Amino acid sequence: MQNKLSFHQSSASLEIIGLPDYSNNENKDKISIISQWKLSIVDKPLIEGKIEHLVPIMNAFYIYSNLLIKNEIPIYESNLIDIKADNLHIHNIVLKSSKPNVKPLVLKIGNSLLSDTINCFDQLNESPKVRIKKTDITTNIPKKLNFGFNKKVKFFNFFIPPFIAICSLILFSSSLIYFYSPFENIEKKEQINPE
Amino acid sequence: MLPNKVTIWKLRNNNPLRKSYVTNNIKLNEFEALIRITVEMSKYLYPYIREILKSKEDIEENSVIWNDFNKRFIELIKERFNIDSMRVKKLLNQAENDEIIIKSLLILSFCISTQGYQKLKNFLYDF
Repeated sequence: MQNKLSFHQSSASLEIIGLPDYSNNENKDKISIISQWKLSIVDKPLIEGKIEHLVPIMNAFYIYSNLLIKNEIPIYESNLIDIKADNLHIHNIVLKSSKPNVKPLVLKIGNSLLSDTINCFDQLNESPKVRIKKTDITTNIPKKLNFGFNKKVKFFNFFIPPFIAICSLILFSSSLIYFYSPFENIEKKEQINPE
Repeated sequence: MLPNKVTIWKLRNNNPLRKSYVTNNIKLNEFEALIRITVEMSKYLYPYIREILKSKEDIEENSVIWNDFNKRFIELIKERFNIDSMRVKKLLNQAENDEIIIKSLLILSFCISTQGYQKLKNFLYDF
């Protein structure tokens, strides 16, 4: 008897069917050996495929969503799936079949369906009941780089104000030199003390 | 970390785009606490965020939600933000602000999972 787990988010739902790994003494309700998966989006054709296709498709969605947000050109292309942005609101997905003579499946989804799908994949990634090769695309950050940036900002905040103050003081005092004439002062002193 | 609403109100003033901007350096743990609040709010507001995005997708059939949101967004910016700033002017410019609003809503909608806090933090560090 196979286990079936479903992850829902508004108009999208992801169904995972499989078995627990009994050789690892896993619980009956877990899924470690996925035999089938189905992604259904309201008003769109059903997407299903082999287990080896699930992780690349999830990665494609994650990479594409990251590109979309980071003001980079939102295009993802692979031998399994292509995702391109038609415009700011519509995304064009082309799912290529591994079987010969099967036409690729073309889907157009909006931002709302894209976020529903991403959230379904997130639920699957975070589920303790399914063992899957986790997708860490969005959770990997170069921490050293980022905290280094913070330190740099603090360094500038600390040194820039006194530096600007000293520069402005020098500029201001150098302008006063035009009002000071040493020869006039000597003449005045001579007039006061004619000896 | 944030014992009351006044603390959050004070932290808001660290935003250099606001009229009431105060140059207090925000601490890392305060920044993280604000991210946590934002993620929790996104989870709660996800159905609304989704509807706003959907409304913009088929603007000819269902423009009410988007127009209402856009109007309230601009009103809020005019009321609270320093409208002499170039960045704020960009937010108020109807021709340019669509992209900024949509991307901000998308970021929020992608961060409603359990790991949403980490995701949002990464997005913000990448900006």
